[in-house]
Amino acid sequence: MSTLLFAASQSSNPILPASGEIIWSVLSFFVLLLILAKVAFPPVAKMMKDRSEKIRTDIEAGELARSEAEQMKAQAREHLEDARRESSRLVDEARKTAEAVKAELVANAEAEVASMKVRAEEALDVERTRLVSELREATAELALSLAERILAEQLDRASFDPLITAFLAESEASSK
Amino acid sequence: MGIFAAVNFPPIGEVLNWKPLLFGGSSVALNKVGLTSMLATAITLALFFLAGRKKALVPTGVQNVVESGVDFITNSIVLDIMGPEGIAWLPWLTGLFFFILFNNLFEVVPIFQMPATARMGVTLPLAITVWVTFMAVGVKKQGFASYFKHAVVPSGVPGAILVLLVPLEILSTFIVRPFALAIRLFGNMLAGHLLLLTFAILSEAMFAKSIALVLLPLPFAMLTVLTGYEIFVSALQAFIFTILTAVYIGEAMAGGH
Repeated sequence: MSTLLFAASQSSNPILPASGEIIWSVLSFFVLLLILAKVAFPPVAKMMKDRSEKIRTDIEAGELARSEAEQMKAQAREHLEDARRESSRLVDEARKTAEAVKAELVANAEAEVASMKVRAEEALDVERTRLVSELREATAELALSLAERILAEQLDRASFDPLITAFLAESEASSK
Repeated sequence: MGIFAAVNFPPIGEVLNWKPLLFGGSSVALNKVGLTSMLATAITLALFFLAGRKKALVPTGVQNVVESGVDFITNSIVLDIMGPEGIAWLPWLTGLFFFILFNNLFEVVPIFQMPATARMGVTLPLAITVWVTFMAVGVKKQGFASYFKHAVVPSGVPGAILVLLVPLEILSTFIVRPFALAIRLFGNMLAGHLLLLTFAILSEAMFAKSIALVLLPLPFAMLTVLTGYEIFVSALQAFIFTILTAVYIGEAMAGGH
């Protein structure tokens, strides 16, 4: 048991530093600081700084690319909207043009029909007048011929003309 | 009691005072502690050289370890404590952190099994270096008189209280700080070293007495758990030493109280 009870009296004071230990540890520490600060640390620090810089620039480039992509997307959306508006405008315009053309064609057709109708009526009138005149003459001839045959005698046609005219006028009035 | 009879705890001199490997008998005797300090320097430099050579866009392996360490020191120590103007101190604080960390970690490295920081010969020079550095920074940034005035005379305190406070400030800023830094690291690592040693000796004693006894849960399990815990403590103490250094230098740079 006595061996467990180690006492400080067994050696010189263990707390006091030995000169050799001081010299070698101080030398080691200052050599470390000198070489580390001048030679060994800068490449590591530079590498870490470069990496941070690269990450920072990559993030910035990513942000820029995203911003550009969003801008392009907005532009594309705007172009799409423009195209949609333009197509809608074209369709409206085409519809209006078609309606105008249709209206014009209808108007032209109606005018043509009206004109044709007028012309036809005029032709009809001329034809009717001509036919009435021919009919009148034929009727006069027929009446005279009939009268000549009925009366069996030659009459002076000029003396009967008023009578014939009056007769034809009456017959025309009755035919209308 | 029979088991304890087999326990042969070495004298403290054997636990802490190592035999010289080179230059024995001189004031520059190189022992295990000195060798560990040099190895800590060599490992740190090797890691940084390897990491600096890889230059991969996506870091892996050594590069990842070193960059994570630098990133941690940058964000959790330099920027948090000193602000952007503390970036100039990043290599210095990184060197300090890794030097202490690897010196601490030798506590759990087989064969070495001794943290160099469990010796005041390592922690005291580090603390004095920090002490000189923050005072030099303060004097350079604020001027000699202004720095010492701001450091020891709290603003807005009545004159009568200053009589009490000024000596306390001198004591806490210029005397306690370096010793607190040195003793905190030294004490924690020495305690861890002695704990591991205690449980290792107990396990060994049980093993020597009867091979079955080593299966007893306490000593060996404690040794295993404490080994993991000491790895955590190694990183924590390196962090604490470095962050306090950043606080002192940052305060000296900023001025005021």
